[in-house]
Amino acid sequence: MVVVVLRSNFILISAVSVMCVAAAPANVSLNGPVKVEIFEQLKPAGLLSPPADAKPIEIYQEPAFAFVRIPTKFSGNALPMDRSVPFTLKATYERVITAGEYRFRLRARGAARLEIDGQVVAESKPQPPNVTGDDPVPPQPVREDSPLRPASYPHQDILYRVTLPAGVHKFVLTAVIGGRGLYPTPGELAVSFAPIGKLDRLLGPASAPYLTDEEWTRYVATINKRHEEADVVRRRLASTEVAAEWRTRHDRVRTELLKIAAPTAPALKSALPVHNDIDRYLGARLEAEKQLPTESTNDLEFFRRLSLDATGIIPTPVEIRSYLADPPKTRRTKAIERLLASSGWADHWVSYWQDVLAENPGILKPDLNNTGPFRWWIHQSFADGIPFDRFVAELLSMEGSAYQGGPAGFAQATLNDAPMAAKAEIVAQAFLGQRMGCARCHDAPFHPFKQKDLFSLAAMMQGKEIKLPKTSTVPMIEGGRKPAVTVALKPGEAIGPAWPFATLADHAETGALPNKAAVPSRNEVAALIISPDNKRFPQVIVNRIWKRYMGLGIVEPADDWSRGKASHPELLDYLAREFALSGYDIKHVARLIFTSHAYQRKPIADPSISTGEQARLFAGPIRRNMTAEQLVDSLHLGAGRPFECEDMNLNPSGDRSPSQFLNMGKPERAWQMTALSNERDRPALALPIAQSIVDVMSVYGWRQSRQNAATSRDDAPSPMQTLILANGILGTRMIRLTDDSELTELALSDVPLEKMVNEMFLRVLSRPASKEEVRVLSSLLGDLYPARKVKGAAKADSSTKSDSRVSWSNHLSAEATVIRMEEERALRMGAKPTARLEAKFRERLEDALWAMFNSPEFVMVP
Amino acid sequence: MNLTRRDLLKSAALAPALAGAATVVKYPKGKADACILLWLGGGAAHIDTFDPKRKGDGKKVAGSYYNAINTAVKDVQVCEHLKHTAPLLDRCALVRTLSHDIVSEHGAASNLVHTGRMPSGTIQYPSIGSIISKELGSKDKAVPSYVVMGYPNITRDPGFLGAKYGYIYLTQTETGPNGFVRPGDVDNGRQDRRETLLAQLRKGFEQRNPDDQMIRAQSSISEQGFKMAGPKFMNVFELGKESKTLRESYGGEFGQRCLLARRLVQSGVRFVEVSFNLNFLNGSGWDTHNDGQVKQHLLIQDLDQAFATLLTDLEKTKLLDTTLVVIATEFGRPPEFDSGGGRGHHSKVFSGVLAGGGLRTARAIGVSDELGVKPVDRSVSIPDFHATIHCALGIDPSKNLYAGDRPVPITDKGVPVTELFG
Repeated sequence: MVVVVLRSNFILISAVSVMCVAAAPANVSLNGPVKVEIFEQLKPAGLLSPPADAKPIEIYQEPAFAFVRIPTKFSGNALPMDRSVPFTLKATYERVITAGEYRFRLRARGAARLEIDGQVVAESKPQPPNVTGDDPVPPQPVREDSPLRPASYPHQDILYRVTLPAGVHKFVLTAVIGGRGLYPTPGELAVSFAPIGKLDRLLGPASAPYLTDEEWTRYVATINKRHEEADVVRRRLASTEVAAEWRTRHDRVRTELLKIAAPTAPALKSALPVHNDIDRYLGARLEAEKQLPTESTNDLEFFRRLSLDATGIIPTPVEIRSYLADPPKTRRTKAIERLLASSGWADHWVSYWQDVLAENPGILKPDLNNTGPFRWWIHQSFADGIPFDRFVAELLSMEGSAYQGGPAGFAQATLNDAPMAAKAEIVAQAFLGQRMGCARCHDAPFHPFKQKDLFSLAAMMQGKEIKLPKTSTVPMIEGGRKPAVTVALKPGEAIGPAWPFATLADHAETGALPNKAAVPSRNEVAALIISPDNKRFPQVIVNRIWKRYMGLGIVEPADDWSRGKASHPELLDYLAREFALSGYDIKHVARLIFTSHAYQRKPIADPSISTGEQARLFAGPIRRNMTAEQLVDSLHLGAGRPFECEDMNLNPSGDRSPSQFLNMGKPERAWQMTALSNERDRPALALPIAQSIVDVMSVYGWRQSRQNAATSRDDAPSPMQTLILANGILGTRMIRLTDDSELTELALSDVPLEKMVNEMFLRVLSRPASKEEVRVLSSLLGDLYPARKVKGAAKADSSTKSDSRVSWSNHLSAEATVIRMEEERALRMGAKPTARLEAKFRERLEDALWAMFNSPEFVMVP
Repeated sequence: MNLTRRDLLKSAALAPALAGAATVVKYPKGKADACILLWLGGGAAHIDTFDPKRKGDGKKVAGSYYNAINTAVKDVQVCEHLKHTAPLLDRCALVRTLSHDIVSEHGAASNLVHTGRMPSGTIQYPSIGSIISKELGSKDKAVPSYVVMGYPNITRDPGFLGAKYGYIYLTQTETGPNGFVRPGDVDNGRQDRRETLLAQLRKGFEQRNPDDQMIRAQSSISEQGFKMAGPKFMNVFELGKESKTLRESYGGEFGQRCLLARRLVQSGVRFVEVSFNLNFLNGSGWDTHNDGQVKQHLLIQDLDQAFATLLTDLEKTKLLDTTLVVIATEFGRPPEFDSGGGRGHHSKVFSGVLAGGGLRTARAIGVSDELGVKPVDRSVSIPDFHATIHCALGIDPSKNLYAGDRPVPITDKGVPVTELFG
């Protein structure tokens, strides 16, 4: 548990003052929504019956009695927080019921109680924490002779029959969530009821959903979406004051900066294309070196590249059409604005900072250097447009939730005997371009860092002195040779907090920082890094952005500046100044780069100059392939398929604490994947669908385990990349024409063949088919096209199933092993193809799609 | 060369702590050129397999769970369920005093046994498969150098050596390696059609970007991929090409994996890791807590049949002298029984096996105490075990690999078991 110090600007949001899922009413309105209250820190005896004077920490509403998600708790600077566990959910409701006999169903994973008109009518048992993996797999949930959704393991159904008189009745549900050894989520907590012999509806208004798989799934999806949106509103509202303080600070920085005359970009001698100052700085060098820039990309190439860079995914045909509908003169600029505002902006930046900040959550017990899943905080920061200096300060505060996604997760480095040394290394490298890795064990032989520098920074982040662990040194052997490196510190030696980079920034106005971390020296580190006097910080960040979009940094290595030299120092200064003036807004710098002609040019196409000094003249961007995340997300989008995957969770039964088993939820974008952590090599611990995605991502440079920071990936083209896409399970699933593929619908739509072909190309390659391609595909498909539809054939369910009964608690049973092995086998067989297309036609079309997805054009960024 | 362990220890101590200096130690150089690692994940009980002790009762009285039987090596016994291996034990060296300190965590211990090192906070160490793959490459360029039959995980990863020294993997022999096997509904006709269409798309892409050599480079790497998945390598996975008698004598899925391992080695693969994770046999696999113990003999019998057949098969195909077969696990198990009649974890002493590979086998290295709790005469550390494997394959265990600028010796001061050489 992270203890949070309450300060004036760090107050937990009191529910009453903040809009929740919907405006919270003072009282329960008849037949209206369900009133929900969350209570924390109740005495054990009061957990199921909060005393009348207990103050709820949240009040919000739900449409009906299904509680699958609790609002995220946010601090005053919008950091996600862990709730103190166990906590209590209380739902209150009144409605008119016609007279009759009813059966009520309380469904809960743990302790819960249902009251009707003040009388307790049903109670479920507390969930026991799990201690072994030897339990048997529970039997398949029994499907009653009705479409009723059965209780999934380990939920309990408590039934109660009652005859109710006509009139208003009051219902109160209380449930205890989380606690020692349990996961702090409600599971499928619900109350439903029906007249005897009828199908259950959720308790709520008369229109509440039936308790069937289909209606439940749909309802949960809406609820999740509502909560997500409400969380966004709540956290933004919660941090209004803090945000204003940062704005004031940025105004001050701007005023100071504007006192210094802006640098002037050089005038160009020749008629090189210029969109903004970036092109002037680059152009002057190109002229001096007598080099010509590459030519412009065409509009569609540009749009695909921009879409990948701004949102991490290829554009949809709808986006392409609307782009092309804009006037040619303004369409690129408009597209830049549109895509910068897209939600994909945040998705694409998460994967980058996961690498750079070594975000490394594990779903199965702590392994080396596991962190909390602070990916969720990175995502919200970019979604909310948090200024980057604030991002740094909040990261360094290491506060908020450790296990549900806050920066406290960054503080963790499990099994590491000097976690803050690891974090100091990451921070110095990420924000200051100081690579201090060697200094963990000795004075760096090739860098200007002493071992003491790293540990004194680590001590600042720790908030107190650190004793050098035995493992963080080079063992000296009695009578042995003198090692080639200097070991100045002795194991056990205490190193006090001190700032090692006085040459970058020697003082900071800590007090002026809007962020108030509980550990003052953490604040100090943040203040020194983001100090306006620290010229290095904005330079390092703009260089990172530049490298991400142009393929190489102005300074290389981008995370090791004591070895690098700027190719265009004035350009670097210009961008850094722009960054600071904009209030440390990454989007502003991205906009400058995207707008430049340099970015909009064709990539350098000669491998001999795509690395090294000549490449850094930036005659064009460096050729890149999609990243693992871009590839996997674009495959799904191109194939028009939902992101299918198991929950990233090896303990669905929720009977273990988050410090042992994280539930990372069902991924919807590739950055949400995690290491599968099957070091035990047990079939029952495999997640076959996730594995099929991870197989592709790993080969394309994604790291399952991010034990340390990385700015670049090991993702050079390899034969295995080709093979995994061509023959792997994911690639095969993508091109198969099943009944849940949008491509199947496209193939069934009543359009001329040429139009269908063009639409497929637009989807997959972001351009219409060439004449030649139309010809080739027409001759492949033409003869079968008119009679491609199978009359009377119905849609079939082709989704991939994962048996949620298998959990850590029973993974040592032979049955669990067999279940997962069966799923793996079924997955390998592939999803059932649609019966609505003639097999011969379908196969040919799949083969064409295979060729499109496996063409180098798909994976290469234009 | 005759170097005693003490000599080696002395010279290892003199070895430079860091890079740059010439190596002063001369390590034995074995003649093996390939390695098959049989991985008993979960922690196989040494006293129930290769280091039998007086019998316990499965409840209160600590000790082995089975009777012991004699073997081809005088005074060396094994458990009664290793009856096919016992007469072949002269082809093996039992290492009975492996020892380390990680007892609670399977993941961490598996990582130690695979990498030979305790994890450090600064770099990720490569697995032994990746190191051997880097040092020796594959014998034939058309085949990969490192194959895993089991689940991909970090313990098997190349770490700082980079993706180039990673592995291809399969989880079941029937499925073939992931990414190499075409989906079942794609016959040769469809594959030809696919490749023809792909060639046409590529051509168009290249024509629209006539000067772009990167596209051509990308295409040629793809071609290499398709070649790798061609019939030459894929035939290796056709176990049906072996005689029915041989397949049957290998036994169940684990045996078939061993047979495939032999075929892979024959084709030029350097390092094959075969996981024994057939947990459907007893539920827990080798992690025999509680009632996992009751059917443990099924695992041992499966291992016995497969291992014995592998040794004879390698011998028949004249590969045994050049193929080192290693049996390893993350730790052993104590002589006491838990409340459920199974066993907990024990890492102070446990067993590994080195077979073939041109080593001087027919011996047991190290002696554990009367119930297999502690080493008695010598203990073999995990780095020593690794050094022995590397030396058997002619690799200098003190050679530096590089994590960026940082020199990292292949083993952490590992000293090979010298009596197995020469």
